[in-house]
Amino acid sequence: MENVLNILFCLSLLYLATTTRVDAYLKVFVLQGILLFFIVIMPLINRPSVFTLILPVTILLVKAIMIPLYIRKKIIIELEVKRNIESNLQQFNFLLLTVFSMIAVFISSNMLAKYTYIDAIPFAAAFSTIIIGLYIIIFRKKLIVHVIGFLVIENGIFLLGISVASEMPFLIELAALLDIFVVVFLMGIAINKISSTFSVDDITALDELKD
Amino acid sequence: MEKLISVLIYLIFIVSAPLFIGIVNKLKSRLTGRLGPSIFQTYFDLKRLLRKETIYAQSASFVSRIAPVVSFSSILFAGMILPIGFYKPLISFNGDIILFAYLLGLSRFFQILGAMDIGSSFEGMGAAREATFAVFAEPIYFFTLGSLAFIFKFTSMYDIFHSISLNDPSFIIFIIVSAISVFFLMITETSRMPVDDPNTHLELTMIHEVMILDNSGLDLFLYQYSSYLKMLVYATFAADFFNPFNVQNHIIGFLLYIIILLILIGNLVWIETMMGRFRMKNIPRYLLFAASIGILNLLIYTFFNK
Repeated sequence: MENVLNILFCLSLLYLATTTRVDAYLKVFVLQGILLFFIVIMPLINRPSVFTLILPVTILLVKAIMIPLYIRKKIIIELEVKRNIESNLQQFNFLLLTVFSMIAVFISSNMLAKYTYIDAIPFAAAFSTIIIGLYIIIFRKKLIVHVIGFLVIENGIFLLGISVASEMPFLIELAALLDIFVVVFLMGIAINKISSTFSVDDITALDELKD
Repeated sequence: MEKLISVLIYLIFIVSAPLFIGIVNKLKSRLTGRLGPSIFQTYFDLKRLLRKETIYAQSASFVSRIAPVVSFSSILFAGMILPIGFYKPLISFNGDIILFAYLLGLSRFFQILGAMDIGSSFEGMGAAREATFAVFAEPIYFFTLGSLAFIFKFTSMYDIFHSISLNDPSFIIFIIVSAISVFFLMITETSRMPVDDPNTHLELTMIHEVMILDNSGLDLFLYQYSSYLKMLVYATFAADFFNPFNVQNHIIGFLLYIIILLILIGNLVWIETMMGRFRMKNIPRYLLFAASIGILNLLIYTFFNK
């Protein structure tokens, strides 16, 4: 069953590499938050208690509700971001790059799984999530898309934590979640400030900044 | 006896191919608020084409004469490989998944040759497009069915679809995902809406329709019939993923097959009503997406299903 969720995670990455809409990026991020919620809650189903529910519920609250709402309200609607992501690379080539990276990650994680104690599919899903988040930050021009790329990388790191260590101390995870929210909050303020001076949301305009 | 029933079922399959498109067109019209043609309209069109005279262009060689027949008959053979309901298909041997792909490829090849043979620039353009998109569509088939063949260690369509059992939940997702990429393949190969608009009247935006502009009479009849048949062949291929082959009852199997086809028609009509045609340059991306789903399936289930 956990494999199913990881496969869906990989599919959401493929969709991320295909779509050209900012709105779709946000929707995929919400979907990934919900998937993470199920991935975390799945091993806990046998021993339900209030204490174990804190982490998954917080994940759902922060990743699927608060951050997307904040991004949509404060950035996309207020700044009137145009719906097209602007890319340095053609979308077709981006998809090819994604597929080849995924193949490389899956094969290498299969090799790793023979010698170490990692679960192959979650590890591969996590690692390809991190890589695709990096690609998004490298090849997209919009600041708002960079924020979502950063969040996707964070999802990947979270997934990696699950696949490598079977149980992370949940206080650390909670602290990481708080960090993420604060970072997104600060990014929102920064983008707001930048756009009040430049009235663009394109990183090419940032080249004009000088100290 | 078993063989006889298979032949009978296949005859029904061939005869009902235009009906399938008729239902799609009717539903599509109803969904957009029009009354629409009768579901038997496709039969009337075919009957009208049969009465017309077949005319060849002066520049046409023998390729134009044989292309429609080869195209039609290779699709006819491809349909024989697919299991319909629980019945054993007419042609079934180890490795027939490759034959299926190449029969459909042969059909497309002759259609392209026939279009280029006449020497009209529009048809050459359509042929170039058809060939280009076929390059991207073929990997979808091979990755999806290849991963199935890897898992079950069978290379015959009948054996593969009969060994699908839906006990493992991760397997259900796998089948659904495979069926989605086969659905993409179906839309591309039969030139339906997001890839190609079957009702367009501008040659510059056509893909499939522009290739048969210069055909008439019996040739056009064969091309039209083969496109109807191709649609039903691909729809059956997608529907076969959902057949619960554990239940070995022939009548239930056939009824389920029809119900799944109707659901498929519903999906197709819904997509065609809701979506516009893609821009030509975006189509390879769409096809590569479907192919990458197949690659992902292949990766996950060949490396980890031990």
